[in-house]
Amino acid sequence: MGRSEEDSTVVYVRMRRRAVVRPGAVVYLGDVARLVTETALQKRLEKLPLHEVTAADGNLVLIDMLQVVKAIREAEPGMVIETFGEPHVLLEISPAGEVKPRKVVLVLAWLLLFFGSGMAMMNFHADVNMPAVQLRITELITGKGSKHPWLFQIPYSIGVGMGMLLFFNRLLRKRLNDEPNPLEVEMFMYQENVNHYVITEEYRKKHEDRTGRDGG
Amino acid sequence: MAAEALRGLLLGVVSLAGGFAVGSAFVALLIVLDLIPRLVQLTRAYRRSPVFESAILIGSQYWICADLFDWTFRLSARFLLIPAAFQGLFVGMFAAALTEVLNVIPIVSKRLKLKPYLLPLLMALVFGKVTGSLVDWLWLQP
Repeated sequence: MGRSEEDSTVVYVRMRRRAVVRPGAVVYLGDVARLVTETALQKRLEKLPLHEVTAADGNLVLIDMLQVVKAIREAEPGMVIETFGEPHVLLEISPAGEVKPRKVVLVLAWLLLFFGSGMAMMNFHADVNMPAVQLRITELITGKGSKHPWLFQIPYSIGVGMGMLLFFNRLLRKRLNDEPNPLEVEMFMYQENVNHYVITEEYRKKHEDRTGRDGG
Repeated sequence: MAAEALRGLLLGVVSLAGGFAVGSAFVALLIVLDLIPRLVQLTRAYRRSPVFESAILIGSQYWICADLFDWTFRLSARFLLIPAAFQGLFVGMFAAALTEVLNVIPIVSKRLKLKPYLLPLLMALVFGKVTGSLVDWLWLQP
C-alpha cells in the first residue's frame, strides 16, 4: 500500500466455481475467472494460459488461486491482485465441452422411480391396511360402508398427487415462486458435498506429488 | 338430501387431507434419503429435477389408481420382468440409502479399523441381502 496508486495497477479476480473444458484444451485465465482491470490489460490477462489438459489429469482438475496469482505475476510483474470468491476452480473435462445428461440412463432412472414409487405406495397401503381404514372412515362419516368407497378413493388419490406437487413447489402455476424446491436444494447440497470431497482429494494429491518430488 | 351431500363433502375433504399428508411425507422421505441426488449424479442430468419429479408423481398416481380401481392388464407373465427388476433396484437403493443416512458403515469401519476392507464389507452386505431375499422368497415362504 506504500506504493503510489499510479504505477501499480490493480486486477480484481473472481474465480468461478466450476468450469467445463474439452480434453487436450489449454485453459486460459478468462475461462476460469472473471477479471476487472484496464481494458487492454484485461484482454491480455484473459488470454493467459494456466494449464494444458492432458490424459493424465483424469476427468477432474483443480486450479488453485495460488496458481493463478503466480501466472499473473509472471506475465505482468508488479500488479496488485485482489481476489474474491472461491480460492479454487474445479475443471470438469468432457469431450462435448459441456456436461450432457446420459439419455439412456435417464430413461432407466425415470422408470426406476416410476415403478419404485408406485410399489412403495402400494407397500405402504398394504402395510397400514388402507382398504379397511378407507371403509371405516366412509362408514364413520356416511353411516354406511360400501365395498368401493369412490368418494374417498378419488379425492385421496388426487390428494397424494397434490401433496407431492405442493412439496415440489409446483402447484397451480409452473411454480409458486422463484424459491427452489427441497429436491433442488438437496441436489445442490449433494453436489456441493461431492465437490468439497473432490477438491480436498485434489489438494492432497497435489501436496503428495510435491513432497514426493522434493524427497526424491 | 342436503345432509347426504354434506357428508359426502366431509368425506372428500378428509380423504383429500389424508392424501396430502401421505404424498408429501413420501416425497420428504425420498429426499431425506438422498436417493434422487444420487440418480442425478449417475445420469448427469443436473438442473433437470422436473424429470425426476414427474417420475415419482406419475408413478405413485398411476399405481395408486391401479390398486384402488383395479386397472388390470392381461399381459403375458414375461412383462413382469420389467417392474420386478426396477422395483428390486428401487428397494435395493432404498435399503442402501437407509444404511447410508444412518451412517452405519462409516462408524463401524472406523471403530473396528476396517477402512481398507470397505469394498469387501460392502460386497458382503450386497450378497447377504440377495441371498436373504432369495432364501426368503423361494424357501421360507410357503
